[in-house]
Amino acid sequence: MTVAAGVGYVLIALGPALSLLASVIAKKPFLILTLLSSTLFWLISLIILAGAWRAFLPVKSTELWPYSILILTSVGFQEGIRIGFWRLFKKMEDMLNAFADRVSKPRLFLTDKMLLALAGGLGHGLAHAVFFCLSLLTPAFGPATFYVDKCPSIPFFLISAIIALGFVIIHTFSMVIAFNGYTEGKRKDQIFVPFAHLIAALITLINLVPGGCNIGLPLLCIMAGTTLYYSWQLVWRRLTEHQTTRSSD
Amino acid sequence: MDDRSTDSDPVTAGESSILDTLGEDVIRIVSPVSLCMLLVVLLVSSVSSTNDLSSSISSLFLSSTTTPTSFSSLNLLLLGSDSTWEEIKSALVTALSFVVVVTLLTFLLVLLFYFRCTNFLRIYMGISSLFVLSFLGGFISLLLISHFKIPIDPFTFAILLFNLSVVGVFAVFMPKFPISMNQGYLVAIGVLTAYWFTMLPEWTTWALLIAMSLYDLAAVLLPIGPLRLLVELAMSRNEEIPALVYEARPVDPQPGDRVRVWRERTDVRIEATENSTNSATVQTVQETRLAVSEEITAPLIEAFPQTGDRHLGTEEEEDGIGLGSSGAIKLGLGDFIFYSVLVGRAAMYDYMTVYACYLAIMAGLGVTLLLLAVYRKALPALPVSIMLGVVFYLLTRVLLEVFVVQCSSNLLMF
Repeated sequence: MTVAAGVGYVLIALGPALSLLASVIAKKPFLILTLLSSTLFWLISLIILAGAWRAFLPVKSTELWPYSILILTSVGFQEGIRIGFWRLFKKMEDMLNAFADRVSKPRLFLTDKMLLALAGGLGHGLAHAVFFCLSLLTPAFGPATFYVDKCPSIPFFLISAIIALGFVIIHTFSMVIAFNGYTEGKRKDQIFVPFAHLIAALITLINLVPGGCNIGLPLLCIMAGTTLYYSWQLVWRRLTEHQTTRSSD
Repeated sequence: MDDRSTDSDPVTAGESSILDTLGEDVIRIVSPVSLCMLLVVLLVSSVSSTNDLSSSISSLFLSSTTTPTSFSSLNLLLLGSDSTWEEIKSALVTALSFVVVVTLLTFLLVLLFYFRCTNFLRIYMGISSLFVLSFLGGFISLLLISHFKIPIDPFTFAILLFNLSVVGVFAVFMPKFPISMNQGYLVAIGVLTAYWFTMLPEWTTWALLIAMSLYDLAAVLLPIGPLRLLVELAMSRNEEIPALVYEARPVDPQPGDRVRVWRERTDVRIEATENSTNSATVQTVQETRLAVSEEITAPLIEAFPQTGDRHLGTEEEEDGIGLGSSGAIKLGLGDFIFYSVLVGRAAMYDYMTVYACYLAIMAGLGVTLLLLAVYRKALPALPVSIMLGVVFYLLTRVLLEVFVVQCSSNLLMF
């Protein structure tokens, strides 16, 4: 609508991400590098998905099932990639520990590992926000706005900004949960992440129904809040456990 | 006792972790490159000469939600409206002639360096930076002033321009200048030159980028390559080459830094903006016929520690991951310029390509730095990044855009 509105949409989508960046990630250069590489990773996975689906696009029908197949395959692929990402993360952790030994500095702390997971997740979330929301925001800086047929009550840019916000939170914190789950080997955490991602993506399917976005958006925000809460509980538990094991020695 | 555990507690240990300082060098190179790219993208999107941006977005937008014309519109955008084959031919000829001119001039530079005409080279480079800052800077400032309707009178403008250019020349070439001003002016020169390059027609820009990265690869790695000869000459004589090189030194030097002497390589390129032999590059913008001479330092430089001891200090790390915490990485200004040209040209299409190309260039830079740490010789910084950038640009434009627009216009995201 104007530059102000455009900037507003950007801040809605990226507000928490920017504050995380400024307060946590910008302080340690290695986390910035992790963020950049995980963003690249997510972009590559998105390009592979786009390549696989190119022949079937554009989907002309308004029925639900082609889109649900799209979502299922995309989410499945990305969750599969997450395991690969975790393996890379383990290798990097080993390299960092070897490096720390060589420079005679302490090995990676638990908080360091969680920070790395956070940076990785934030990279994924940023990539999502950038490619699904920001790159389409260019007309929003102009004089008009745009409404999608199926959702005539909210401008398109606002919907995509709020969805991007939800997904930024989900991606960021599910990486923390996933890495902790894979490290500890807890089934519950490992299953929670793909599950949450899938549910969130399926919630956006509700937007296909006319007027569905009025239900879909709040549900997505609830999902994001759930992921946030779960990761908070997990990190709290992990840190207090760690604290008690250390002090009991 | 608890040294066996892999997780130590920062609170009771009271030590800093390696995560605090690791990767500082890389960030000190990544930030100015990103800043340069950001400024070029901002300039391009605010004062663009070809207005592909908004029209392409709106056409893709509307067509993908309603009718299946997105394929045709995509094809139209990809191939362009007029005779594409002619454009491609002229682009190739321009790029080739440019590379030939650059090669000849680099050999000339090697010759001059061989005959120890260093002063001549320094003066020449000073004059060329003055030209870039004053003429190009003035031209682009005029564009900005007319676009944003800034009220300024010609006398103030002339005085400001004169002052800024002269200070810029001093900042770039005098050794005792504050490093932050040096870095700032180098980034400014990079932005101005890159913006000027984005005014070339599209096919020419891409052909030029690919040709320059191939030339870079050949000139640095082949035994007869001019840049390699230059580096070997400089190394054998233990001299510095006068060059426009960005040095990623920290702004305030920490005590106890071991300053490693880096060897750098440059090549001077006189760029005839006439391109009179190939009329295809004549722009609608009327530019003065100036010979802009600029340097591109093709390779990234690695360290040759003068003292010869490779022991690990408490702060430094020479091998392993290859990310030392002191000692500066030097990146030539030409690399800045060509990265920004690629991103600026991507900005002329759409912001999605900008992000994709930015990530690709950063990845290429990271790969080059890794190779630098492994091979420990001067390496060309252009090829990997530019090739990755071009590949990602094509992939985004052909594959990703349709997919993402299709998903998000239906409000489906994952």
